[in-house]
Amino acid sequence: MPTASALAQPAVAVKIGSGAWRRFCRHRLALFGVAAILLMVLASIVGPSLIPFDSLKIDIRHRFAPPPFEGHLFGTDQLGRDLLVRLLMAGRISLSIGFAAMTVSTAFGTLIGVAAGYYGGAVRVALMRFVDAMLCFPQIFLLLVLAAFIQPNVVTLTLIIAASSWMEVARVVEGQVRSLRERDFILAAEMLGASGRYVMFRELLPNAIGPIIVAATLTVARAILLEAYVSFLGYGIQPPMASWGNMLNNAQQYLGSAPWLAIFPGLMITLAVSSFNFVGDGLRDALDARFDLN
Amino acid sequence: MANFLLGRLLQSLVLLLIVSVIGFAVLHLAPGGPLAQFALIPGLTKEDLARMAHEMGLDRPLPMQYWEWLTRLLGGDWGHSYRDNRPVLDVITGRLPATLELMGAAILISVLAGAWIGVMGAIRRYSIFDMLATIGAMVALSIPTFWFGLIVIYIFSVHLGWLPPGNRTTVGGDGSFLDYLHHLIAPAAVLALVEVAIWSRYIRASMLDVVNQDYIRTARAKGLPERTVLWHHALRNALLPMIALAGVEIPTLLGGALVAETVFTWPGMGRLLLDSLGYRDYPVVMGILMFSAVLALLGNLLADLFAAVADPRVRLA
Amino acid sequence: MNKDRKNEITSNTNPLLTTTRRRLLAFGASAGALAWAGPKTGWIASAEAATPPSKPTGQAVIGLSQEPTVFLPLLAHIEVDEGVYFNLFSALWRVDEKGAFQPDLVAEVPTVENGGISADGLQWHLKLSPKAKWHDGTPFTADDVKFNIELIQNPKFLAGRRAGIDLIEDVKVVNPTEVTFKLKKAYAPLPSILSWTFLVPKHLLEKASDINKPEDFLAHPVGTGAFKWVERVPGDHITLTASDSYHGTGPYLEKLIFKYVPELTVLYTQFQTGDVDYVGIQGITPDHYDEAKTLADRHVTPVPQPFIENIAFNLGKPVFQDPAVREALYLAMDKQSVIEQIYYGLPSQTESFLPKQSWAFNADLPKHAYDPEKAKKLLDDAGWKPGGDGVREKSGVRLEFTNSTTAGNHVREQAQQLLQQNWADIGAKMSIQNFPPAVMWGENWTNSKFDSAMVGIDFMVGPDPDATQYFASTGIPAKGGGGDNTTQYANADVDKLLAEGASTVDVAKRKAAYLKMQELTRKDLPYLPIFQYAMVQGVKGKLEGFTPNVNVQENCWNACTWYWAS
Repeated sequence: MPTASALAQPAVAVKIGSGAWRRFCRHRLALFGVAAILLMVLASIVGPSLIPFDSLKIDIRHRFAPPPFEGHLFGTDQLGRDLLVRLLMAGRISLSIGFAAMTVSTAFGTLIGVAAGYYGGAVRVALMRFVDAMLCFPQIFLLLVLAAFIQPNVVTLTLIIAASSWMEVARVVEGQVRSLRERDFILAAEMLGASGRYVMFRELLPNAIGPIIVAATLTVARAILLEAYVSFLGYGIQPPMASWGNMLNNAQQYLGSAPWLAIFPGLMITLAVSSFNFVGDGLRDALDARFDLN
Repeated sequence: MANFLLGRLLQSLVLLLIVSVIGFAVLHLAPGGPLAQFALIPGLTKEDLARMAHEMGLDRPLPMQYWEWLTRLLGGDWGHSYRDNRPVLDVITGRLPATLELMGAAILISVLAGAWIGVMGAIRRYSIFDMLATIGAMVALSIPTFWFGLIVIYIFSVHLGWLPPGNRTTVGGDGSFLDYLHHLIAPAAVLALVEVAIWSRYIRASMLDVVNQDYIRTARAKGLPERTVLWHHALRNALLPMIALAGVEIPTLLGGALVAETVFTWPGMGRLLLDSLGYRDYPVVMGILMFSAVLALLGNLLADLFAAVADPRVRLA
Repeated sequence: MNKDRKNEITSNTNPLLTTTRRRLLAFGASAGALAWAGPKTGWIASAEAATPPSKPTGQAVIGLSQEPTVFLPLLAHIEVDEGVYFNLFSALWRVDEKGAFQPDLVAEVPTVENGGISADGLQWHLKLSPKAKWHDGTPFTADDVKFNIELIQNPKFLAGRRAGIDLIEDVKVVNPTEVTFKLKKAYAPLPSILSWTFLVPKHLLEKASDINKPEDFLAHPVGTGAFKWVERVPGDHITLTASDSYHGTGPYLEKLIFKYVPELTVLYTQFQTGDVDYVGIQGITPDHYDEAKTLADRHVTPVPQPFIENIAFNLGKPVFQDPAVREALYLAMDKQSVIEQIYYGLPSQTESFLPKQSWAFNADLPKHAYDPEKAKKLLDDAGWKPGGDGVREKSGVRLEFTNSTTAGNHVREQAQQLLQQNWADIGAKMSIQNFPPAVMWGENWTNSKFDSAMVGIDFMVGPDPDATQYFASTGIPAKGGGGDNTTQYANADVDKLLAEGASTVDVAKRKAAYLKMQELTRKDLPYLPIFQYAMVQGVKGKLEGFTPNVNVQENCWNACTWYWAS
């Protein structure tokens, strides 16, 4: 499984300021990513109501109409449904899963990471060993076995994708928190009698926010890819609903006769995932204090 | 050093135990079972299925089944595959060479291509080439591997007819080395795509670190040709930390191999895992799980060890 | 040379007790390959007559989308394994493409007429072929037959099918080529069961320490078939080579290779590129049929299979207990579009659970017609009134259910979506909930946890139309029964007819019982019959001798008489 986060080197924590914003705006790819993401989100929300076709309406006599065909800009699919409107509806599902899985896994990973980094000792050992153990599983194994438990729908898919991708966030956060833990301002807060929870969430977390944002962005990218993989292996969103992953899965066998069915969703996935990766990369550069030193 | 090793090994054993408990529980509690494949076989009834489940011990409590599996494993017996009745170890080692071959070829491609792209990017930092390489790497990491594999098959096998659409050799062919190579190209290239992206980024970063070091400046000052300085002195030192990366990348590569093997019908471990999961062949799935966990831990351990040996500043604690 | 295959197969022969002296499979050389030229024209002999070579030459690569892995044929196994068994092992007799038994390891198939079976069907006397030898040179004898029967009956042995064989007792070896046994009660499907019971060698297995895992044998199986074992590369292929001591006709090929290609699309691509000579098991996917027909030097023909595609209702669920609902759903099903559009017109529409080729097939059942208006009226009359959201309901039960099948079966998923729309039109809400196979066909199916399922079932016992396990009320697993009656169908008349059919050896009486029974299931509709499957078979142009056979599950059944036309 390709992991975009392999590129995610933990950044040194800085307070997000105008410098970071300026640096981000200089990162042209990141700006492109932001624009592409906004465009995709907008198109998914508004687009389907602008197209005169229903994404579920089967028209069996016009299967596999190559694009463009009588108003079907992107052609029709194996049941004669308009491909463009399905792509947009699929975008709703895939992007929602991406964002939702990111939120859940980032929240959970952050919680574990902060707890482990702050308390240290036995808590750290227990939590981080659990993280290590989870990382020993091939991710696809975790996904497939978890998928067997559930009725695949948007919520359950989000949860299993989150369940198999929170570990790296936990690691990044734990590392950050552990290094911040010994800094003067934290020691000062503790000496002033601040409670553990206060220190964790008011002092440590805001200071570790940079790497968390970077990891979260890359997690969206990864979650979209994972949704596609799970669907490719037949455990994904159920028909007649469309996601980019299951559209691709269904199109596989028509690669020779109706290649557009495979090409469009594949391109959408690549575009969406690249955009999030670009943004993640831009954020990392922007939030990396070392950048200023060069 | 010895203490460090011993500690890490102990830690790893504990990890393996946790992995095995989680894996076993999740796998066995998941709905479905190894006998489902027989449900629609004509002439085979529910009664037959119940009798077989009993004979195979599938109707016993889970902790008992786990305990039996664990004690046998400790005695060196990995169990027998439900699906083809051979010892699990034979089943896995039978598939290993194909996967290693694919992974080896992919690593070779990614190190060579990755080094070239990375070094060129570092030398001409912020050039058009560097920008394209950066974008290319990000996009490569974003392409669904299976989709890329299908497109490769569609273009190079179906349309152009240059490469075979799958398999490790021509079926019933002469099994020559060239034949092997011919079949290896497409899956290795698809598997390598992501790795090239990762390696080129790391080597670029590593090169940038190295070229600013004193000894490179010294080498330049001595008047050595730029080419020698870069490809000899700098690259060698930039590649050293990459050995650690190789260790860490093993699980990623294994995961990628699973997908590439599925698309290219490559008879390796990844497909074995997928098939075995499909059939709920518990002993084989557990075997592969433990095997890949050991591999991942070993990769991490080697990476740490190497980092420690190469850089005396890293304290082994 | 037109042959009306349909008449041949459904003509009232006596498939249970007839035997011909004709050597098994001799037709392969004279008739050439049969080809299906469409529903109107029927079967025609396509290839010019060619002659097999004098000694085994060449190799055939059989592409399979599943991997054969079980090489002790008495163990539980799946269809794909049988393709190897047919060539590596032998049964006492085989069933040919016309449904007749042909001697294999016996010198003659026992019948009432030749005295092999007593008139009451209880006493059996087998005369074995004196020529048969195991691949290691040891002669095949009556002791082997006795060993196999006892092995299947051994409670410690993980035998797959045991039905019928568990009725055998008192096995006596008269001499090396003769064996007798008794049955506890007459059981008509037994000859069919024995036709897929492939025998294993006593001398190699009696000493195995664990009979469920005889490692030496599994690594190098020894049989009596036309081909002997060479090697298996797990996950890739199995190679067999011609046996020089085969007791039957053939083999004409020197090597037979079973190549495992897990993706149907890739398998088809490999057939296109010529890496694979024959596409086995599921064949070529229907959507590739048009393209495949145009391939040069390939015979691509649909061949009928015994599987019937159904919507199976779980009658334990309240919504399906009203017969009007089942009838209305059937009326609202646009079968024509499913068959013509989604399956490219390949399968044939049916009203029965038996394939058209069966001697017990009832051709006079009421014909289905797509009529949503009539369906609506039927539901209205039965008291199912549309609720606020358009979904009908009656006394608190909503006309809403899930439909499940194997996830990843794309063609079926398309049919599901079409039916979803069809049924929504009459106010029935069906949602799709598919599972991976190990989940779908596990507890979910066997213990009737599903609402409705889309499933292809071979209801027969080999060539025998006995469907007791699927329809008898005693076989409902969810109620503790031992059969496969997962729809929980219970009809006392059907029970009686099934018992009648299985306990007599009189074929006329059996046929009458089964004809009547098909009328009842057509009326009750525990399964909505959609069509009888046809598999698109792809064979390389010059590979002669391939013969489709609806009575076996694997079309490599006669590979011993395949050969390459020069």
